[in-house]
Amino acid sequence: MHPRVLIVIPAYNEENSIAAVIEGLRQAAPAYDRLVINDGAKDGTGKILSQMGEKQLLLPCNLGYGHALQTGLKYGLQHGYDIIVSFDADGQHRPEDVIMIVTALLENDVDVVIGSRYYRGEFYDSPLDRRVGQILFSKLTRLLIGQRIYDTTSGFKALRAAACEVIVSGIFMDFHTESLVRLSMAGFKIKEQLITVNERRHGRSMHSFVSIFTYPLQTLLLTVVAMVDALLNRRKP
Amino acid sequence: MSLQGILLLDVIGLILIGLIINLVRTRKLHPAFAVIWLLALVGMIIIVSIPQLLFFVTHIVGAIYPASALTLLAFVLVFGMLIFFSMQISILSARQVEMAQKTALTDLQRQENNKNTKSQDEPIV
Repeated sequence: MHPRVLIVIPAYNEENSIAAVIEGLRQAAPAYDRLVINDGAKDGTGKILSQMGEKQLLLPCNLGYGHALQTGLKYGLQHGYDIIVSFDADGQHRPEDVIMIVTALLENDVDVVIGSRYYRGEFYDSPLDRRVGQILFSKLTRLLIGQRIYDTTSGFKALRAAACEVIVSGIFMDFHTESLVRLSMAGFKIKEQLITVNERRHGRSMHSFVSIFTYPLQTLLLTVVAMVDALLNRRKP
Repeated sequence: MSLQGILLLDVIGLILIGLIINLVRTRKLHPAFAVIWLLALVGMIIIVSIPQLLFFVTHIVGAIYPASALTLLAFVLVFGMLIFFSMQISILSARQVEMAQKTALTDLQRQENNKNTKSQDEPIV
């Protein structure tokens, strides 16, 4: 029996790219359901989706990427999907990689597959601050869970429903290092799959100047919280 | 501390108590928060008004002057209140996220149900 797959696409002010992303997914993965999480977009994103007849979940206000994604995961769990794929709305991910990432999940018998830009040292031209953060968090995951995850911040992931349940019930920020540590410590298997990432042509990154400093600290704090949670839960009879 | 200083602090404390009561009365301050502030103010008035107690507190915190001890106590109180309010904002923020998510999920579910009902009502040609 084929697993039911849902592609969750959090979108905030992506009117320039959303149509191409949806069209690409319709062609590349027609058997998979899609759900766009309209994260309180103020531009024409919602209108474009309506015109395309695309299913969208309209959040009443902007909750941020993490909570938008969390809403999509909740929807997927409520509707009994077996696998949920998170996919960015800015056009950076290639729709044809969706099938590849789901196949990698099924064939390798793992619980999470991360579409990775840097897997095993592969080069991807990203800003220096992000690259440095990426290397530090990558090494941190190896230290904490014994497995190096090269691209902890990738927005392109495929997860089994059981893994979704664990992270949806925890403290949720962005589903990056903290969630990966939480999942790994709970016994879920994680794998990286090399993907090609297109350059961002439209819109702005969700990271502001201030978040360059606050974001890594928050991630670090939540990683510590995830570890403490895992250790406390392990002690329970 | 001089009698003049004690009276001044007592008067300021009483004015602030009156202000807090008025804020609660006009529904601009939640009673739960008002109680914390009132307890802090009453505590301050009691410590200031009883010289032996003030000297005892000064001795306990290791200060030389009573005014320094009061400043330290005020700092600790304000720091504690800031943590408390940060916590309250975080709780409210989490509730807001949960409500927004629930509203959106329910709306979509209703739309899907309506769509299903409509497609069932349509006659098969």
